Amino acid sequence: MFDGTIWFLIIGLTIVHGSNWVWQCEDGYCKRESGQTERDGYSALKLCQLVCSNYLNIWPYPTGAVKSSKELVNINTKSIIFHYNGPTETVAYLTEITKYFEGHLKKDEPFSCEENLYNLKITFTPLCKEITSNLETNESYTLTLDSIGNEVNVNIIAPTVFGVRHGLETLSQILVSHNDDGSKCLSTLSNVQITDQPKYPHRGLLIDTARNYLSVDTIKKQIDGMAASKLNVLHWHLTDSQSFPFVSVRLPNMTKYGAYSSKKIYTPENIKDLIQYAEYRGIRIIIEIDGPSHAGMGWQWGPEAGLGDLAVCINKQPWRSFCVQPPCGQLNPVNEKLYIILRNLYSDITDISPDRRMFHMGGDEVFIPCWNSTPEILKHLRGKPLNEKTYLDLWAGYQRKNLDAYDTAIGHKNTSIVVWTSHLTQPEFIKNYLPNDRYIIQTWVPESDNDLITDLIKLGYKLIVSTKDRWYLDHGFWGTTNYYKWKTVYENPIYEKYTKAILGGEVCMWGELVDDSNIDSRIWPRAAAAAERMWSDPVTTADYAQTRFFAHRERLIERKISAEAVVPQWCAENEGECHSYL
Amino acid sequence: MKQGELRRALLFVILFCIFLFFYLYWQQSTKYIPTVIYGYKHVKANHRSSSPPQWTWDCVNQRCERRFIKEPVKAVSLPTCSMLCGSTQLWPQPTGPVTLGSKALKFNHNQFIFETEIAGPVKAYLEEAFTSFNNNIVSLIERTDYTKDKTDLSEFLIKVTIQNPTIVKLELKTDESYNLIIKSLKDTIRANITANTYFGARCALETLSQLIWWDPYSNGGGMLKVIKGATVQDKPAFAYRGLMIDTSRNFMSIESLKRVLVGMASNKLNVFHWHVSDSQSFPLVIPSLPLMAKTGSYGPEMTYSPEEVKGLVEFARIRGIRVLLEVDTPAHVGNGWAWGPTEGLGELAVCINERPWSMYCGEPPCGQLNPENPHVYDILEKLYKDLLDLSGETEIFHLGGDEVNLECWSQHIQRTSTVYNYTDLHELWGDFTIKALNRLTAANGGTKFPYVILWSSKLTKRPYLMKYLDKNQVVVQNWGASQWSDTPDLLSDGYKVIISHVDAWYLDCGFGRWRETGEAACDPYRPWQTVYNHRPWQQQHLDKKLILGGEACLWSEQFDEGSLDARLWPRAAAFAERMWNDPQLDMNTFGIQEDVYTRLNTQRDRYVF
Repeated sequence: MFDGTIWFLIIGLTIVHGSNWVWQCEDGYCKRESGQTERDGYSALKLCQLVCSNYLNIWPYPTGAVKSSKELVNINTKSIIFHYNGPTETVAYLTEITKYFEGHLKKDEPFSCEENLYNLKITFTPLCKEITSNLETNESYTLTLDSIGNEVNVNIIAPTVFGVRHGLETLSQILVSHNDDGSKCLSTLSNVQITDQPKYPHRGLLIDTARNYLSVDTIKKQIDGMAASKLNVLHWHLTDSQSFPFVSVRLPNMTKYGAYSSKKIYTPENIKDLIQYAEYRGIRIIIEIDGPSHAGMGWQWGPEAGLGDLAVCINKQPWRSFCVQPPCGQLNPVNEKLYIILRNLYSDITDISPDRRMFHMGGDEVFIPCWNSTPEILKHLRGKPLNEKTYLDLWAGYQRKNLDAYDTAIGHKNTSIVVWTSHLTQPEFIKNYLPNDRYIIQTWVPESDNDLITDLIKLGYKLIVSTKDRWYLDHGFWGTTNYYKWKTVYENPIYEKYTKAILGGEVCMWGELVDDSNIDSRIWPRAAAAAERMWSDPVTTADYAQTRFFAHRERLIERKISAEAVVPQWCAENEGECHSYL
Repeated sequence: MKQGELRRALLFVILFCIFLFFYLYWQQSTKYIPTVIYGYKHVKANHRSSSPPQWTWDCVNQRCERRFIKEPVKAVSLPTCSMLCGSTQLWPQPTGPVTLGSKALKFNHNQFIFETEIAGPVKAYLEEAFTSFNNNIVSLIERTDYTKDKTDLSEFLIKVTIQNPTIVKLELKTDESYNLIIKSLKDTIRANITANTYFGARCALETLSQLIWWDPYSNGGGMLKVIKGATVQDKPAFAYRGLMIDTSRNFMSIESLKRVLVGMASNKLNVFHWHVSDSQSFPLVIPSLPLMAKTGSYGPEMTYSPEEVKGLVEFARIRGIRVLLEVDTPAHVGNGWAWGPTEGLGELAVCINERPWSMYCGEPPCGQLNPENPHVYDILEKLYKDLLDLSGETEIFHLGGDEVNLECWSQHIQRTSTVYNYTDLHELWGDFTIKALNRLTAANGGTKFPYVILWSSKLTKRPYLMKYLDKNQVVVQNWGASQWSDTPDLLSDGYKVIISHVDAWYLDCGFGRWRETGEAACDPYRPWQTVYNHRPWQQQHLDKKLILGGEACLWSEQFDEGSLDARLWPRAAAFAERMWNDPQLDMNTFGIQEDVYTRLNTQRDRYVF
């Protein structure tokens, strides 16, 4: 296969003095041995894993063919050349992802490896010119890596720049920096061929900035973690009844009355910056403004402005009688001025990101007793029976006008609207209220309620699945909920037979008990376990992914994300020795 | 040179000498001004922010209620409202009477003057305590230009009087009580601290720091404030208020452990139990046994040098905390103990990495000391000597002693058959423990160590308990479930105990069940309310006399230093109030008083920057 004159340097296979341990590849596991022994071994675990682990240690693992040699080559980090070989529209995007990629490599500088270095030449070939992504975006790529002469040539060919980005992420995972007998080297395999594409187009993480505020830097860190794990949707639960941190230019009262303080806000510039930051990492941000429930702080100013009550039951006590979680608050569906306010709010959002193809309107946990105890609403309903149907009609009426407000703001009717499963999305009601060509349903029912998923699919709805008893990362710290360890998160099956109707899923990090100080460790590395579920949808168990998962956790740490340790370091360093433990 | 000029020069020199004399005379007065370089560690901005506050808090029925500012009113920030609204914002709540003024005064930290008449070794400690007090206050400051603003004070005098200034080592009998009086005199604040020991005085400084806060609304950009007038009398309910951290399953840097100590100091916890090694790794460099860390650590950079450990012990002592170094034996060993054969000492440990692990140990990798190898005891003596030297501890030693797996020994003994005369291997374990204790005595220069802590185990139960363990020396750390009979049994047999019930005070639990099932299962998560509401002496009517205190434990299988802080706090703070104040439990409702919620929130905000 290779020219006989080319000789491949087997590096890393040296006895390393001063370091405690070396690793041997045996039966698919990297075994740790004392560095004092006579046997040769790899000087770093991740170097051993690159050769020894399944799927070249890539997370999430590629769904297409993975072929590689076993030989390692050292890269001359001073000579890395990028070549852009696609439509000119893509150059700016590719330049950005190149910077991001170099950032990962440069963090390990200075490299001091000197002998037998290979120059690295990376060629990007995106076939289309699109630089924004949506559900239809083709994220596939092929990556080939060859070593010829003193050069390592990498070719990443993909239909879109997003595929190229994923390919580059994969490349960064097979470039391993390590200490080799005192010198710092960057190594990779001499020959690699990978074809890859995700199983699901919507691979999300939900963050909630209303229960507790998250700084822009914290959000960027989550985006970094998502990029490393090839997640592609950041679902931003921006507001809730506790606070309204989104600065609406048209409606400054929203944050004035709703933010925790004048510092705990997101300006349009903050959000634009985040959208851009995410885009260069292959991620689209989907904003959620939850309603009619989960709205309170920020909506109090209606009466003063002569607009009547925009929301009702705000801060009402005892809260258990008026909402699911304090403080209470629910939008007032019978106040026509509310819809003007919503339109203005949506105009501010669409100004920030005019080409979004998806928007989230919440719609969960509407609490009928709140409306049922509000005189203004009861007056409006006079003459109608106060039964389930009347309230569902009221709610659906709100949703219709809410959608009109959004469509008017954006100027077309092409945006897919996501709503949470609720009373309104019950199979017996949903058809009457929410047309399946406009609405995508995000299910958050436990696994035992998967019938709902079947029913909604039969009714022609597209779904995003957030299995509450596996993918709610806030669980385990309140009430009777359980913590889901990474294996439980990993083994959540998104049903193969419904592939087309199920767009994908989202792990959800609700914000009641996290803020800047602990959110990294709550989300990571568990969200990465979900990422492999959505990208690769493996038929194998979490045990099979274990060593790769531990390695990916280390990767997240290297990228400055405080991912939780999931086992003693000993278990990570002694592969296969901690089975049926943790 | 003319004569007149010389005279003038001499006169000048004389005048200068007189001035110098007076200056030095005043300098030797009682006022001590610490040579602290004031640094701003966590300052978020240099200047006040331009955006006006939107919320004000009103004190209604001892509760701060948030209101939107509609017309220009004098806005009250949440910290200021909480401080002046009924309950104290002290954590842990003092046990003696507390009176607090209802007004606050603005000041800046340059106005602190520390004064003490103490001489001798305690003086140096006190200087360090002042520095750390000052750092705590400086960490509250959110803009550096606040010192240019007008304050209500000309000086903030802190005067410390210690009755017994010779005590520099914390022991179980050490008096940690203190009195704090804050008075406002003209345009000064005088904080008088009186305590029997340095350790009480240090606690008083913590309390004083909690009566000072940053008011973000003051002067349009924030100012420091202190409560105008207060008296606090305080002493702890328990002498042993511990926190255990495990650095073997996953390594924690010295820096991260220092952060733990700072948090402990602010919550008046006083024992840092350092579970430094286990079967997974041995990161502690033992000067007389360098091979232990060399062969047992995760890597050369993941070790603790003797200098680092001694530095940490000193860092802790200034903060009123003693450090107990635990090298667990005879079980929970493995990595770091495998060098015997190559050094000609035979197998120091057996079953190392034995498979299947579930047969021979509680979690992988397995390993247990070899009780038959006499070299083991020589090594233990060396080890103990170094541990005592590193920790400087002369009163309490932790011997480990949990989860011995007899199957491991029996397999090994069948193979070597030198010690076949044990029909009950618990006796082998008992004999090992006695030998280890003898070696501890030898390491201690032939004097029996006053207190030796052992984890609860089969050996701390009848009949082995009385046979092997001396109740005048051994203290049992109870880690079993609170419903188990261990604690009442030990107390009725006259043994001293430290309580660490797994179902309340194991802070590592709840991140995926493993090992035990049933009451001792490490699942679910123990929320702070569970930690706080654990009061076994009331729940089980136990005699508090033999309960030295309690210890919250944080085992490190499922986290490392990246999430150490979040795992620990604020739950360890909830534990600290249980230990210090030991509030009554409402056995009917198990409700927690409302002030606990607000005080704990305030305490959490103190260390989140």
